[in-house]
Amino acid sequence: MSEIYEKLSTAILEGDADKTPKLVNRGLKQGLTPKEVLDNGLIVGMDEVGVRFKRGDMFVPEVLMSADAMAAGMLILRPLLVESGAELLGKIVMGTVKGDLHDIGKNLVSMMCEGAGFEIVNLGFNVEPDVFINAIKEHQPAIVGMSAMLTTTMRAMGHTIKAIEEAGLRDTVKVFVGGAPVDKEFADTIGADGYGSNAPGGAELAKQLVGAA
Amino acid sequence: MQRRKTNYLVNATPTFEVLSQDEIEAIYNSALTVLYETGVRVYEPTGIELAYSGGAIIEDRTDDSALVKIPPWLVDKALATLPGKVVTRGPDRKYKMELYKDAITFGPGSDTPFTIDPYTGKRRRATYKDVKNFARLTQALPNLDFHMSLGIVQDVAVGTYDRWQYLAMLEGTTKPINITAVDLEGLKDQLEMAYIRVGGKDEWRKGPLFSLYIEPVSPLSHSEEVIQKLIFATDNEIPFVYTPCPLAGATAPTTLAGTAVQALTESLLGIVLSQLRKPGAPMIIGGLMSNMDMRTTVYCYGSPEMALLSAAYTQITKWLGVPMYETAGCSDSKMFDEQAAMEATMNIATAALVGGNMIHDVGYLEQGLTSSPDMMVASNEIISMVKRILKGIPVTDETKALNVIEDVGPGGHYLDHDHTYTRFKTEIWRPDIIDRQVWENWEAAGSKTFRDRVHDRVIEILGAEEEPLLDEKMYKELRRVCELADERHKGEELDYNMFG
Repeated sequence: MSEIYEKLSTAILEGDADKTPKLVNRGLKQGLTPKEVLDNGLIVGMDEVGVRFKRGDMFVPEVLMSADAMAAGMLILRPLLVESGAELLGKIVMGTVKGDLHDIGKNLVSMMCEGAGFEIVNLGFNVEPDVFINAIKEHQPAIVGMSAMLTTTMRAMGHTIKAIEEAGLRDTVKVFVGGAPVDKEFADTIGADGYGSNAPGGAELAKQLVGAA
Repeated sequence: MQRRKTNYLVNATPTFEVLSQDEIEAIYNSALTVLYETGVRVYEPTGIELAYSGGAIIEDRTDDSALVKIPPWLVDKALATLPGKVVTRGPDRKYKMELYKDAITFGPGSDTPFTIDPYTGKRRRATYKDVKNFARLTQALPNLDFHMSLGIVQDVAVGTYDRWQYLAMLEGTTKPINITAVDLEGLKDQLEMAYIRVGGKDEWRKGPLFSLYIEPVSPLSHSEEVIQKLIFATDNEIPFVYTPCPLAGATAPTTLAGTAVQALTESLLGIVLSQLRKPGAPMIIGGLMSNMDMRTTVYCYGSPEMALLSAAYTQITKWLGVPMYETAGCSDSKMFDEQAAMEATMNIATAALVGGNMIHDVGYLEQGLTSSPDMMVASNEIISMVKRILKGIPVTDETKALNVIEDVGPGGHYLDHDHTYTRFKTEIWRPDIIDRQVWENWEAAGSKTFRDRVHDRVIEILGAEEEPLLDEKMYKELRRVCELADERHKGEELDYNMFG
């Protein structure tokens, strides 16, 4: 058994999105539960990725490859986990707010969060408050993530939070924000639940917000 | 007697090159391929129609955008009418920024959310007063030729801050300014303010008071606001900087040649649209290309790659015959410290030696998120030093001074020689803040480090009493434009103060 776990975590660590799903299937065929495959294989790999990244032994493109491998494995595991009633990390609705076309940072956070086990609903850029609201209704995410690159569009974050409040949905989601001109103080001012200063920090924060870290 | 060979060309200035002629052409031709085969996305109908009517191919139309593919001949046509020289002037006509091949000017960067308070040393959000103070610093520093805000005015309404920012700059400097605008309306208001300041449109045409910063989003995207500004600037004789900010490894290929190809593709779209709209419209292309730091995901402002890319792009623009918006005087350090000085020295020297034109971002710290008065003053000294290197060593019979050597002969000295007396001030660079005192005198003067002395100069400049640059009537008129804009956009602000 430990051999398949080790192979899985190595595949994640090496960012091998081809090998990971094959190994997931092999594990399931050997009689492991989806939760065992996830907890003892994939997550062990991703945790090690986190440790190495913090230590400076792994870099963003490598972490993203690992996140891709993780996502490829989750594609198989997620429906089985849902079926078995296992607790999942849930969904994050992500978007760059109205008026802003900068989406590299938001995409980075999305990929990092996906690597951490979240399911991502990426709304793209220039996202109107209404689109956020409809996405919350449709996907029932645990978290809404917003990004802005300009001070003028930071304002749209405040407007979007207000619109979510007015739609009566604020209590159903946690909101976290980020982007170059954004800081913790601003996040507090507009009533966000969290602020991430960079993409890896964002994934960590997402886990904290749902009580998984 | 000076003797020269026929057709003997002497280049008296040291030059730095990072690309060969063939490499420049390879990058240019690759950009043409991307523009024609991959295309760029344009999010503005007038721009799309303009490109189409000029001969571009339009594909994949969506509700708000289209893929625009430009054939190479259209780029050639645009380049043929693109001016090689762009000039802006200060309101009293004393200061002038002339951009053309190898003409070097320096100035700050724009719109940082944060600044280092000169009196407390704390990092905080920038205000109107900071922006005015930065303009006063530019006014006082002889090696800065143009000005940019070095801060976003964040103690006014968010949606109309650009007008207040321009007012703050006009209060502090009479040097030419490179402005930013939140949108088309913000640009129109600032143009109105410039007309008020300079005395009307005819005066503006004799020498525009500002150039406009326009930034398309990498990779290969040109937003509605960007195209609207480009068209308005072109129609109204406003020189503009069309500068993408691609990030190698993230929003552009990680290989620097690929980043240069993409940036050039993005700039060429601006060139084609402006020249289609109005042949001869003045523009500057750039300018800020760097790499993503793969540990922190930040945009590097002090990296060797940024300096290299800036140098490579300068060579490309010289070859194209369009003024270049370079980047230097900036750092990723959080305070003005040894790292900041080191990075600024490296990128200022590179930018100047390669012959960039409008070299901006002097005073930037923390990946362009924070501005620093100390960084600005220190960079002024670095620029001064680099300018001396640029002057090179002119080699003539007069400078070889054989007759003076003969005069003094073995064992003499040159100190009281007329040749020394008449030339030492122009030949030998003299430091301003850099210290060369003997130990005892340095100690007696308070044992101050370079950092201390730089900061003292900041305080000295900011503390100096000056006559206001705007008389009361003009100030009120300019302020009125800002207030009217605030009034029009009142409903768009949040119910609370965004920045506490």
